[in-house]
Amino acid sequence: MNEFRLLLKKDFLIFVNNLLLIFRNPLRLIPYGIAVGYFVFMYSKGIAGSEQVTSQVNMDAAGEVDVTQQNIIGGLTLVALIFFIFQLYRATKNNITFFKMADVNLLFPAPVKPENILIYYMARSILPALGGSLFFLVYSGGQLANEFSVDFVGAMFLLLGFTLYFFLIFPLRFLIYTLHTRFGILEQLRVGVLVLGVLLSSLILIPGFMAPVFWEGMFAWITSPWFNLFPVVGWSRGMMSYFLEGNWILSSTYLLLYGITYYAVVKLVIQYSGHYYEDVLEATQNNEDRLEKAKGTKEVTEDAYSLNAKKQLALPEFGLGAKALYWRNYVQSSRQDLHPLIGLYTSGMAVLGIVLAGLGHFDWFSHQVLYFYLLFLIFFYFMAGIGRANIGDLKKPWFILIPASWSSKLWNMIKLDLLQTLIFGLLLIVPSVLIGDYNFWLILLFPLGLIFAYVIGLGVNLIPQVGLDEGWDRILIKPLMIGGIVVFGIVPTLFFSGLLFGVTGKFVFGLGAAVLGLGFLAAILTHVTLDILKRLEFKEL
Amino acid sequence: MLTVTQLTKVYNKQAAVHDISFDLAGGEVVGLLGPNGAGKSTTMKCIVGLIRKTAGEITIGGHDHLSVEAKRLFSYIPETPYVYDLLTIWEHMQFIAQAYGVKDWKPKALELLELYELDDKQKKLGRDLSKGMRQKVSICCALLPDPQLLFFDEPMIGLDPKAIKNTKNLFKNLKEQGKTILVSTHLIEGIESIADRILIMKDGQIIGNDTIANLRLQAETGSGLSLEDLFLELTKDE
Repeated sequence: MNEFRLLLKKDFLIFVNNLLLIFRNPLRLIPYGIAVGYFVFMYSKGIAGSEQVTSQVNMDAAGEVDVTQQNIIGGLTLVALIFFIFQLYRATKNNITFFKMADVNLLFPAPVKPENILIYYMARSILPALGGSLFFLVYSGGQLANEFSVDFVGAMFLLLGFTLYFFLIFPLRFLIYTLHTRFGILEQLRVGVLVLGVLLSSLILIPGFMAPVFWEGMFAWITSPWFNLFPVVGWSRGMMSYFLEGNWILSSTYLLLYGITYYAVVKLVIQYSGHYYEDVLEATQNNEDRLEKAKGTKEVTEDAYSLNAKKQLALPEFGLGAKALYWRNYVQSSRQDLHPLIGLYTSGMAVLGIVLAGLGHFDWFSHQVLYFYLLFLIFFYFMAGIGRANIGDLKKPWFILIPASWSSKLWNMIKLDLLQTLIFGLLLIVPSVLIGDYNFWLILLFPLGLIFAYVIGLGVNLIPQVGLDEGWDRILIKPLMIGGIVVFGIVPTLFFSGLLFGVTGKFVFGLGAAVLGLGFLAAILTHVTLDILKRLEFKEL
Repeated sequence: MLTVTQLTKVYNKQAAVHDISFDLAGGEVVGLLGPNGAGKSTTMKCIVGLIRKTAGEITIGGHDHLSVEAKRLFSYIPETPYVYDLLTIWEHMQFIAQAYGVKDWKPKALELLELYELDDKQKKLGRDLSKGMRQKVSICCALLPDPQLLFFDEPMIGLDPKAIKNTKNLFKNLKEQGKTILVSTHLIEGIESIADRILIMKDGQIIGNDTIANLRLQAETGSGLSLEDLFLELTKDE
């Protein structure tokens, strides 16, 4: 029995069926067409302007430490490192899987060798990494076409650098979990990953504290060439350095390191995984559930990331009718976090803001870092509002059945979120303003901005979801509706906000304009939401 | 055909299945009954190798249950019928035929699809099938290799009345052909008419293991209990 031939044939059939599906519904090709058009446009524009740019290189600056370049490379390396360490840490919590539940049901009980299946699927997992990297390369190539000239070899090293970085993480995670199930060394592995995280943090903090200005020195070590030897993250960076240095021997050496590591990881996994079916069962089931939720065939549960799931509660009733929804959310939130009003995650985010304000006060960071952080949080709450429409009460029949007015139901549904948001906003901004000597108006504006952004996010998703029927209406009109809100509501708000900031140079004015605009938008969307909510119907899932 | 000796499965220090032993002779149809959480599915998943056993020994046709030789002898119909989203029903048949090395599989596949009224849906993709239809595909896939031993985990759930009747008939036919079947189910009346023996599980242990005739006798000579009453009596909490 040749397992590889069997699986190749299965995947080939799946590929063909996927193509047939696309051809049966050519509208699916529209986004791809737009993407191709965009890339062609950017490349043609880039090629036309490439000659002028080469002559603008500042040769006087050669030999000096370019802090901006160092910070860009350092920032990217840091992001890659955080992602890498986080992924390794996750491997100590739960396993990853390369399989689908159909494999579990149809392939696993079949007379095939488990190790061959694993080798095939592990190798195949390079495809998503390769596809994603290729897309990123083409996209960034389009953006940078008029800044740099990238030859074929350079493009290949860039592509391989990205691909192998994302690819190797999964076999490594599988190996970590395998070692845990085989030898029961979960604690040791977890401590190892944490120690690695602490050491890497020191690599940033120590040079930062040693430098006259923290942010100018913090990346001095992780941007140095020797850091290219750091597994995975460094190797990818070293391989991609062909882009700047043109040394193909060095880049090929990193590629070779990747090859040797992959071989070793596969060997170890095969040696220690044994009969691994049980190890991947839960992760495969979870993936399948996630996919079904994304497709909308299964309800999104609220138990994700619960910190306190088994907490025993004896809460008094909050009142009758729609207040039951608020009570339910309160109970849910008590189990999901350490406190129903002030959560662990949000406290962490508040502390981070306060730290940034403190660092800004001592001139270790520019004040603008905190400003960016505040704007990011407003965006984050907008996204949270969008997510709120997908889960919880709206998907339950009792939201419709409870004998209370729609406005009261909506209010009680989001009351806890609004309270949490307000408390979080104040927790972050009050100490930040006091420590960092920021404008006092931020204390009023920032929490309001968070709340308005949340309400807009909720409305943006809820209105089309409730107001439009299934099918083409929803597919075609929903983006149009969201586009309208963005173009006529959010963009003008951001424009005036940016304009005011540009003219006055004061963040508080920019934020003030943004909050005013978002407030108007939130009021309009709330009105529409209340109007449309009575059309809500329960969808059997 | 199947021998399970002192099987134990522990999850997080809690025994889901505790030291159970039983065997199935060739041609025997055995019903595995028990309330929710009794350990039926865990037992079955251990036997087919989807989860590791913590202790014990399982052999199928004299081979270790994890060996390729053992896997050639059995088929498994899972409780939740997942299929490949982007394979058609016919391609599922093709895939299984290759995986089990079934020669000249097409007439058999057609016959099975006809039995389960899937013959006109051969070109339908897995993602377009309802849960009941996926269950039917799952059963067809299990029957295609013509296995000696079949494991059905709650096979009736999600099926329409006609498909349930077909499955019961199928059990009869398979029994007549001398196949060995282990069926885990909640539906006592579904298994009562065809099972030679009943295994009753509770809290990870086997609390009843007898032929259906003996159980019936016990039920009649006792206080006139039906099999269902007897099941409830055996599995009730102390």
